[in-house]
Amino acid sequence: MAGATIDHMISLTILIAALLVAMMTYNGLFASAIDYDRNRQVANKAIDLMNTMCLSSGNPTDWGENASSPVLGFGLQDPRVGGYALSPYSIMRLNTASSVSQLVEYPPDSGVFYNNISTSYGHAILTPIGDCINYTTAAELLGINGTYGFNVDVTPTLDVTVKQDSIDPHLKLNVTVSGSGMPLSGATLNYYLFHVESGTPFPSITMPPRGIAQTGSSGSVDIEFPDVVGTNPVYSFIVYVSLGGVNGVGYYTCNTVDDSTFVVPLIEGYEDGYLNLILAHSGEILNPSEDATAYYNASFYTLTSDFHLQQCVIPNSTGVLKSGVEQLYNTTRIYASETGLLVISYVDDEDKLGSVIVPWGVGALGVSASFGSSFGSGGYDFVATELRQVTIDGISYQMKVSTWSLSG
Amino acid sequence: MRTVEVLFVIIILLGAFVITTQFAVLPPPSQAFGTNLRELSQSTLETLDAQGTLSETVFKAYDDSAWGDLQKALSASLPPNIVYNLSIYDLTANSQGVVTYQLANSISDAGFGADSDASSLMLTSPNVTFTQDPQKVGESTGQNITLYILNCSDANGWWITGYTGQSLAADIYDLLSPYFTTTVLINTTDQLGSLLDNSLSEGTIPNAVVLNTFGESVPIPDDYCEGGSHDDEGFDPAHDDDGTYAKYFHTLGSLTRQYNWTWVSIVGYPFYYVTNTDCFDDKQNTYGIYGMEDVRRAGVNAFLQGLDGAAYSYNDASTASGVGVVQLTSEALDRCNYYGIYPAPYQTSSRALTDDILDDYHLDRFATVFDLKSGRIAAATFRHQAGNGALTAIGLTRIPDIRVTALALLMYYNPTVYRSEFGASGTSRLVTLQLGQQGGT
Repeated sequence: MAGATIDHMISLTILIAALLVAMMTYNGLFASAIDYDRNRQVANKAIDLMNTMCLSSGNPTDWGENASSPVLGFGLQDPRVGGYALSPYSIMRLNTASSVSQLVEYPPDSGVFYNNISTSYGHAILTPIGDCINYTTAAELLGINGTYGFNVDVTPTLDVTVKQDSIDPHLKLNVTVSGSGMPLSGATLNYYLFHVESGTPFPSITMPPRGIAQTGSSGSVDIEFPDVVGTNPVYSFIVYVSLGGVNGVGYYTCNTVDDSTFVVPLIEGYEDGYLNLILAHSGEILNPSEDATAYYNASFYTLTSDFHLQQCVIPNSTGVLKSGVEQLYNTTRIYASETGLLVISYVDDEDKLGSVIVPWGVGALGVSASFGSSFGSGGYDFVATELRQVTIDGISYQMKVSTWSLSG
Repeated sequence: MRTVEVLFVIIILLGAFVITTQFAVLPPPSQAFGTNLRELSQSTLETLDAQGTLSETVFKAYDDSAWGDLQKALSASLPPNIVYNLSIYDLTANSQGVVTYQLANSISDAGFGADSDASSLMLTSPNVTFTQDPQKVGESTGQNITLYILNCSDANGWWITGYTGQSLAADIYDLLSPYFTTTVLINTTDQLGSLLDNSLSEGTIPNAVVLNTFGESVPIPDDYCEGGSHDDEGFDPAHDDDGTYAKYFHTLGSLTRQYNWTWVSIVGYPFYYVTNTDCFDDKQNTYGIYGMEDVRRAGVNAFLQGLDGAAYSYNDASTASGVGVVQLTSEALDRCNYYGIYPAPYQTSSRALTDDILDDYHLDRFATVFDLKSGRIAAATFRHQAGNGALTAIGLTRIPDIRVTALALLMYYNPTVYRSEFGASGTSRLVTLQLGQQGGT
């Protein structure tokens, strides 16, 4: 009898031990399955967000170039091209600043802030923050506010680096083209050099002829300009690169003035298909207490599909801007539906020259943009990323959408 | 003995556990997501061809430098951890039209692991122009058939909610004018009067198609209104209290028979109102739309009398009523693919004509767009058995879908469309881009 009892006790112990081992193992399996399923949901949401942003234009479809009606649907596709082409204007209306300190206030102490899409200050038209779509609005329009966080990065596929090689006996620039870290030989370059020369009182800038070159085996090429001589040449250079269906753009500006003297274009508003611009003295933005004057000469060049520039007449193409003593600015306007480059040359009180190229439409100058929340916002442990190739104004970009769950 | 039994139980338990564990192989959570290679591949192909570069390259000789540029472009576009294989297939069609795919060239930068996906893009040679030339309606029988579209500025539409007759006229013009030698927009009711009087200089009046874009209302010239020079052909003072314009529709039916027209009603109850913003400026259709007067059910009966060659006799018996949801016939679905017109296959018919009209007015039914339901015909063309004149009636509910009208007319006249052969050798190539991810996810 005692033997049977012992048998039962042993068997029961072993049985319970086996059950415990099984339960622990199954528990791990279930936990893994639940994690997998949760991550899968985030991954699917990333694909969903990418498709929505990449393949729909939003509502209204032209919200990037027309601020008169509220944005009811969020999408970045270019409605005139379709497919994997993003609107160059919609991206410019995204509030890409992660903090107020990154915004530009103009006029000083006015409470009116502008967003700078470009990472390089002064090289993009500034958009009034009131016309921009912020992250919360975008998340609400996408139907994920409070449930998922996201971040969108739009970066050019090709890396085009321009540097001044020498100025003696004449100007020589070096252009290097690479993609995914690999130098690209045989790339075709279409380039323009905007040579700035002093005038009375406005500096002169002429529509340059287009030059063509090709990168060598190292992915770089030297471009010489025999007509540009002198110890302090002032110019803006822009180059469009093409290779096997991939296009990129690079630019370089060389000035003799201080950075605080350049002209800053800001969007005043959208009206009847035009983009009204304010041309302000940057001293008014960076250092309003200092007196400074700039005589400017502005030209707008539209960008054709084969990367040619065509000059357009704009009002108030020349003028004088002051800061410090009085708030003086000028206004002009360009077509809201024509991408292109606003090229502004200027001269300060000491006859020092400068120039700046600002794009209307991010593709015209290969501007990159990052929009969304930061990963540090918490509440997630898995980030799904989705990558697509897109074009903006014919320039090749990579678009990356990162998504994470906010529900923990 | 019991110890042995217990051991058996434990062995069975552990065995079941091990077997279950073997089958329950779940992927680790980190593998829940890898880059969506198919979409990345598709977007890469589309962006490479955004300016036609890929299309140009794949038709070039295999020793052309463009292939090297394409390989560099692929390497530059894709992240370093993505490997690719671009394959180009040539399409060849045999005499029976069977298309086969043969590998023509491929570019690859590495071998693939288990994790890969692909997408494809059909490219056409930039040196080939694909055309689609429709045969003109009537060309096969030697007839010169003109399409008249009623676009009268002095008329209002009804049952075309959301549109105007003029906007529909513009749309139907775009859809159908390629199929007709001559298309004429009738821009005023006066011009319509000239058409009815056979004095219009534009187009060829006999055998024409007259398409009314105003829905249930039909424009009427001043002369046919009460007090006009042709009011005996338009106005019947003896019926419907203050008189009726059913007689105008009888005249239209008679002219349709006389000139062998095909009269087209695009939506709703045919011939339910007459419209002329000048004659009926103080009259409305009881729904607040001024410039029209109702004839109601007598309209279509009067038209069919005229089409049948019978004398006018006021008849306000119901000829059309609702049958609910109707479905495109198999013939219509086939023609949708042929002509590239794709209305919704299921639509609601609230004004389907009864098939009794076939016997009553000696009509034959052709080009039936929707399957018959409850003995009623939602959309078809009714040609008189004597061979003179026809009525195409689309008895759907509002809002109008003019694609149904276009489909009905094309089904009736059946013009041939001459297309270039996309599958012809050397004109198209299929490009597939297979992407693989290296280094895990």
